[in-house]
Amino acid sequence: MADFTLQGSKVLAVRMGGDSVKAKNGAMVAYDGQMAFKRLSGGGEGIRGMVTRRLAGESMTMMEVKGTGTCYFADRASEINLVQLGGEKLWVEASNLLCTDGGLRTGTAFTGLRGASQGNGLFTTTLEGAGTAAIMSDGPAVVLRVAPGMPLTVDPGAYVAHTGNLTQQFQSGVNFRTVIGEGGGEAFQIRFEGDGLVYVQPSERNTIGGDV
Amino acid sequence: MPFTQVNSKVVQAKIQAGQRLYSQRGAMLAYSGAVSFTPDLAGGQGGIGGMIGRRVANEATPLMTVEGDGTVMFGHGGHHIEVIELSGETLYVEADRLLAFDGQLRQGTMFMGQQGGVMGMVRGQVTGQGLFTTTLAGNGAAAVMAHGGVLALPVTPQSPVHVDPQAYVAHRGELQNKLTTALGWREMVGRGSGEGFQLELTGSGTVYVQASEEKL
Repeated sequence: MADFTLQGSKVLAVRMGGDSVKAKNGAMVAYDGQMAFKRLSGGGEGIRGMVTRRLAGESMTMMEVKGTGTCYFADRASEINLVQLGGEKLWVEASNLLCTDGGLRTGTAFTGLRGASQGNGLFTTTLEGAGTAAIMSDGPAVVLRVAPGMPLTVDPGAYVAHTGNLTQQFQSGVNFRTVIGEGGGEAFQIRFEGDGLVYVQPSERNTIGGDV
Repeated sequence: MPFTQVNSKVVQAKIQAGQRLYSQRGAMLAYSGAVSFTPDLAGGQGGIGGMIGRRVANEATPLMTVEGDGTVMFGHGGHHIEVIELSGETLYVEADRLLAFDGQLRQGTMFMGQQGGVMGMVRGQVTGQGLFTTTLAGNGAAAVMAHGGVLALPVTPQSPVHVDPQAYVAHRGELQNKLTTALGWREMVGRGSGEGFQLELTGSGTVYVQASEEKL
């Protein structure tokens, strides 16, 4: 299995011995040894996945990197976080996904109104299986624990990913102040309940909620 | 050596009477002591000849000479700074990535076609670096800027290193660089992996790679 290590916080080194990883298109910065790069159409889920992705608008251009040696990945100086998956499922925005083990299954999940408020569309990417995934965040991400009876509310623009058995609920704090243009900039939030982990970045994407 | 790293984005230079530093014009953040900054019209060393050479080569980044006795802090655009110490080797770096360097280093301009012929020139165009690059040789230190921090990868004759041209920052030592293409039918139909061009570095030395595909 490919060996993921971080070189500093912004460069990911993946050591491979003939196996493959999936990575964001064009994210390779350097490698030694022998490597081959191949674009995966439709995120590498076959024809069905490709159609689903097109319909979902969750565009994810990934490439398959295969070979022996060490490959270094980085993207626009984003901070990288490694997530170890042991059979559970990770929900992550396609734009925040840098690299995954070749053995992890990718899929598309419906997020509803939450996705729209994040400025990321109505769908999100899921990863399932055993292996490592590298996710990117703008600034070092904080991992927040959600436990039963301890729900967590996050800003849709700062949400990066989550794992575990969580239910998410979209809530809005729109009131008359927002309507007259005097909102606090926190009109929408996502509330997580259940048991799991949420990755939050110290920066906010441009969202509809952040403007009002 | 005169450069000390204050944090990842600010570098401090100690300068004594009789010593001289070159730095990108306007990159000084603060100084203490009696230090003078003179715009260097020639853009570096080599007199008029060197100046014309750099103008022609489009490697003429406005420089200033820093002289005096004191400490100066340099930083530019919030970019990460890497201090590279040279002891007799040659550093190849783009002029606009060069923040400051020791006055003892010999500055020169190299034509890309010298390494790799026509492919060397294509290389310069593909990487957006142009046909010329700046060289620094001798004993001393140079402060080089990069977006998002620098990773230094050793290159040995047994293990050549391939680098994304946009992430390449600088290299030093006895290295040959060659542009390799991995263009296949996928690229032709617009479904490429985004890694169609790579720089292959062979020989022995060090290559510096930044954690980003953005130019400065």
